[in-house]
Amino acid sequence: MAGIDVGGHGGKRSSNHEIPLIPFIDFLLCLVMFLLVTAVWSQMARIEADAKVPGPPKDDQTVDPPKEKELHVEMRGERKFQLIWKEGTTVVNTIDVDRKEVPVNEDVTYPDLGKKIEAEWKTNGSHRAPADKKFDRAILHTDNSTEFKHVVAVLDAIYVTTREFSVGGKAEQVPAFQVTFATD
Amino acid sequence: MSGTKPLSRFHQPISVPGRRLLHGLRLEFVQKKAAGGGGRAVNTEIPLIPFIDFLLCIVLFLLASFSASGELPIDKNVKLPAAQNAIDMMEAPVVAVTTTQILVDGIPAGSTRAIMEANRMQKVEELAEILKNKRELWKQIHPSPNEPFPGNVILQVDRRVPALVVKSVFQTAAFAGYPAVSFMVSRMGK
Repeated sequence: MAGIDVGGHGGKRSSNHEIPLIPFIDFLLCLVMFLLVTAVWSQMARIEADAKVPGPPKDDQTVDPPKEKELHVEMRGERKFQLIWKEGTTVVNTIDVDRKEVPVNEDVTYPDLGKKIEAEWKTNGSHRAPADKKFDRAILHTDNSTEFKHVVAVLDAIYVTTREFSVGGKAEQVPAFQVTFATD
Repeated sequence: MSGTKPLSRFHQPISVPGRRLLHGLRLEFVQKKAAGGGGRAVNTEIPLIPFIDFLLCIVLFLLASFSASGELPIDKNVKLPAAQNAIDMMEAPVVAVTTTQILVDGIPAGSTRAIMEANRMQKVEELAEILKNKRELWKQIHPSPNEPFPGNVILQVDRRVPALVVKSVFQTAAFAGYPAVSFMVSRMGK
């Protein structure tokens, strides 16, 4: 047991004291129980989308920047998705993917779409090197009446594709595409 | 040898054992102890100091992860969709989009129905104004030119909201100076 011993017992009153540990343990246990009950374990997460807003042309820009390959994901069809690789306005390649919805509780997923996009990026992706700081772009075309849960399901399928990215010497897996919405 | 006197007990080579201390008592445990038989001590001290150290470590860990405000507030009218490939949440202004209205940190900032009735993508003026004010406030709090405005915003969109509204809010946020948009989702198990 813990105690304080000051030696010499000349007087009547005892100078030695025992520190009461049991009440202190009870206090700590109550504190731990309170913190465990009030702890908040977050289930929330986020999906990124990038809004490239076209700005005014810069004065020093005399040469048009080279047009990069972009993946357009067309989800307006009822039975299929279309994956269209475009360089500027030139269509390079078009792939159709069946729209097979897999329900998970109240949500939907498109696992086939995710696998196909991943295969397409491995074949046609422009920015695959870990040291490459640029990312491939995916542009999502949706119907105005499409419910948001379907939009999130398609975004989730696009983010299945990941690539290695070196940041400060450390390599980590990050999404291969930067996704934005089409304005049409 | 006849005629020799027997030796007294103090002179005999092998003497009769005399009385021994505490051996006369009838208590068995006293006899065992006194006999020097030994044995393991039955009484044990429970070590309380390491237990207190353990409790203190747990308390410190829970205090470090404790948040008085809890996680980010979710509007009660918003039912979030779920996603598997999502990343961790971050601190940023939250724009909640329900089936009827648009809110920024709980403040009404537009109507979803107005966008639906127009049936085309449009800028939400109230939302743009509130976000611009927030940006100006941030710049006043962070006057250093070395600290650029991050432009992050989180959209908390109900799963039933149509894509037209989402695109309108998305573009409004982008033109208000918030190009880094994230959609809040709940985690779906892989």
